[in-house]
Parts: sequence; C-alpha cells; structure tokens
Amino acid sequence: MSHTDDNKACAMHTAHVREAHARRVLLEMTVNGECIVEEVDPNMLLLHFLRDTLKLFGAKEACGEGECGACTIILNGKTVNSCLVLAIEAQGGDILTVEGLSKDGELSILQQEFIKEDALQCGFCTPGMLMSARSLLDRHPDPTDEEIKEGMGGNLCRCTGYQQIFDAIKRAAKREREELNRS
Amino acid sequence: MLSQFDYVKPLVLDEALDALSHHDDTYILAGGTDLLIMLRHHLIDAKHIVDIKGVSELSVFNFVEGEGLEIGANVVVNTLVDSELVKTKYGALHDAAACLATYQLRNRATLVGNICNASPGADLPPAMLIYDATVKIASKEGVRTVPLKEFFTGVKKTQLTKGELVVSVFLPDPGNNDKSVYLRQTRLKGHDLSTVGVACRIDGEGKAAIGINAVAITPLRLNALEDALNAKGITEESVLWASEEIKNHIKPITDVRASKEYRLHMAGVLLKRCFAKIM
Repeated sequence: MSHTDDNKACAMHTAHVREAHARRVLLEMTVNGECIVEEVDPNMLLLHFLRDTLKLFGAKEACGEGECGACTIILNGKTVNSCLVLAIEAQGGDILTVEGLSKDGELSILQQEFIKEDALQCGFCTPGMLMSARSLLDRHPDPTDEEIKEGMGGNLCRCTGYQQIFDAIKRAAKREREELNRS
Repeated sequence: MLSQFDYVKPLVLDEALDALSHHDDTYILAGGTDLLIMLRHHLIDAKHIVDIKGVSELSVFNFVEGEGLEIGANVVVNTLVDSELVKTKYGALHDAAACLATYQLRNRATLVGNICNASPGADLPPAMLIYDATVKIASKEGVRTVPLKEFFTGVKKTQLTKGELVVSVFLPDPGNNDKSVYLRQTRLKGHDLSTVGVACRIDGEGKAAIGINAVAITPLRLNALEDALNAKGITEESVLWASEEIKNHIKPITDVRASKEYRLHMAGVLLKRCFAKIM
C-alpha cells in the first residue's frame, strides 16, 4: 500500500482517469481520512479493492447483487453497495468504512450501543448495518420507527433479529443528541 | 471476477457518443446497479465500458414552469424521492421512486437506467407514462425524441440502437389541481420487483390516466380503458366498473412472483385503491 506522507484527505483529484485500456490504472481516493494511491484493474469491484488490496475486511461480500447490504460503505457522503461499484468509479472519492467509525481506539457511540443492546450475533451483517445506521443518523438525528425501517431496509440480518438493532440505533441517536447539546 | 474491459469516462456528450460508436460490445455505465449484476453473472460480454457520470449535460434535473421537468441520465432515484417538486407535481413518480429497491441502491440507480433496462415490472415507467413522458435520445447522427410509450418494445428491449444514448426523460408540467398516485403489490418490500403496479392520475380537467406494469411484455398506458372511464365520468361506480374492465386490457402471465389470475385480480384492486386516494 502506498500512502502519502500526509495523513489527511487527498488534496486534489489528480489524474482524472479518462481512459483505461484493460490495464492497471492509478487510483487516488481518501479512505477513512487517509489518502490512498493504488494501481487497479478497471474490472475490480470497489468491495474487492477495499478487502483484497487495502485489507479492510469490514465490508463483507454476501449476495454480491445489492440485495443484502453487507458490503455497505459511505462513498462521498452516501451509502452504496460496494459490490455494485467499480473501484475506478470511486476515483477522487471520499470513502468511509466501518474501520473509520472509531476514533483514537475508542468505538463510536453507535458501535457501543450495538454491543450494549446485543444488536449482533454472528456479526457478518454488522459493518453494513453500522454504515447504514451512520448515514441514517446523519440524515435523521432523531429517527422515527418508520425512518429506521426505511433507512435500514437494505441491510439483512439472518440471526439477531431486528428489534435489538432498532433499539441500538434509538439509544445511539439519543446519546449522540445529548453529546451534541453538551458541546 | 468480472471479465476484462476497457473503461472510459468522457467529460462531454460528444466524447461519450464517440466512445459508443466504435465497438458493438460497448456498454453504458451510470448507476451500474443492473450492469454490474449482468457483468458478474457473465450475461453480457462487455469489452468496453463508457462511464457517463462525468458528462454534466446528462446530470440535468430542471423544472420549467409551464413546460415541464427534465431528468438527465445521471439523476439517481433518491434525487426524485427527496425532491419536493416531484412530490407536489408528480405524486406517482415520487411514490414509485420511494418504493424502488433499497435506500443505498437508490443512491446509485438512475431513472434513465430503469427505463433502459426495460423490465416489464419496473416501478418507474407507469408513473411516467401517465404524464406522457418523452425520451430524448442522442447519437453521432443527431438527437431524436420519442414518447416513452413507444420506447419499450419488449421484455428487456427498447428502441435504442447501436451508438445511441438516452440523454434525459421529459415530463410535461401537469399544471395545478393534478393528482396522481402509484401503488404496487409485491412479495417483499424493496427486495422484489412489483407483482403488479398501477399508477393513476386525474388531471386538472378531471380526466383520468392509467399506467401499469408486470402485466404485459412492456409497461403499459391503458388508453382505451381511460377513454371509456372518462366517457362515463370518474365516479365511485365508474371506477368500480373500470376495476373489472381492466382485466380485458392486460395480458399477465403466471411466473415466480404470482399467477395470472392473481395479477388480473390485483390490477383491479390497485386501480380502485389508487382512485380512492386521488378522487
């Protein structure tokens, strides 16, 4: 992995890749606040780039067809199924994965509440759940049940059940609002 | 692993049309939510991919009072869901967009992609057919505009020929006092295409329009049924009549989602429910 010295977001979108003739192209993007420069094949999925190249194993591959949400990440502020995005489409982009939620070794409020509420069992869906929940709380700091249902509808869980996930999101929303009021 | 392909990302429409005109095995990438699945399952043999997201002319989302709304090829479905204008002016389109797939998929999926994929069960077409939507198509030869009604030619088939690209879809301004709604029956919210979906509109002059999906090889506008209904005037009785009569205007099949009989029945039920919401 060839990171730049600067540990901040990429300063500019260099080398707007206009053409890539079935050969490796230089990809530059910000991942969890870190500037990443890597060579990729045009046919590499963003999900595989994150997992196989960057060794960020949070986003999971399950259905591979945008149905289950296990591969959900945030690209340029919007949740996407990274199994349905080419790595090269994220050229110059800003990516947040589950690995970027914690700060200074401390889990985020959302992650803490998922643990407290037992909102996971096997944990396979959890990184995707957390990213959808993050995006949901950014849009709706005090979400209604209907908004949670709609916002989390693209993430399937096959073991925990959804009630604990609902509870964790509501508790996290409350704590985040309290924290915001304090600051 | 996807098969190998070239990737180009043009910045102007002419460049995109150039890229499209060179090879037969060239595919357009906008949201990619259908294309990447086809690539993954090797259903298509793409040697060249043209990513149109860099072309600003294709990102237009613009309403002109008295004229209408133009929705460019790069406009994602969540833009429609979040648009107050769409909600107020084109209620059925808002409804259809909001029930399409899932939140994160709608962040990528485009309205134009939804029509180009041409699934008979796609949610958005009925909600556009009732507004007499037109499709602007560009190629190296020039630009042509066709009614959406004529755009679909079969299951997963459209009028588009080699080298052509859909620039945008245009919905005429319905004016004030216009109401519409889209309702669908589905097995699983979000995770399935509609079993039957019906869009109904009553315009400012009190005339009805009806669009429907998943009951024929293409999404349909039911003009003959509308004419008969409009001749009777829109009342509870005439809507009840239309909910039976609709069965003579559609040709659903039995498939994994539902039987032919269920679809015939639900088409009538949804028609009633739609009109109950906008009468």
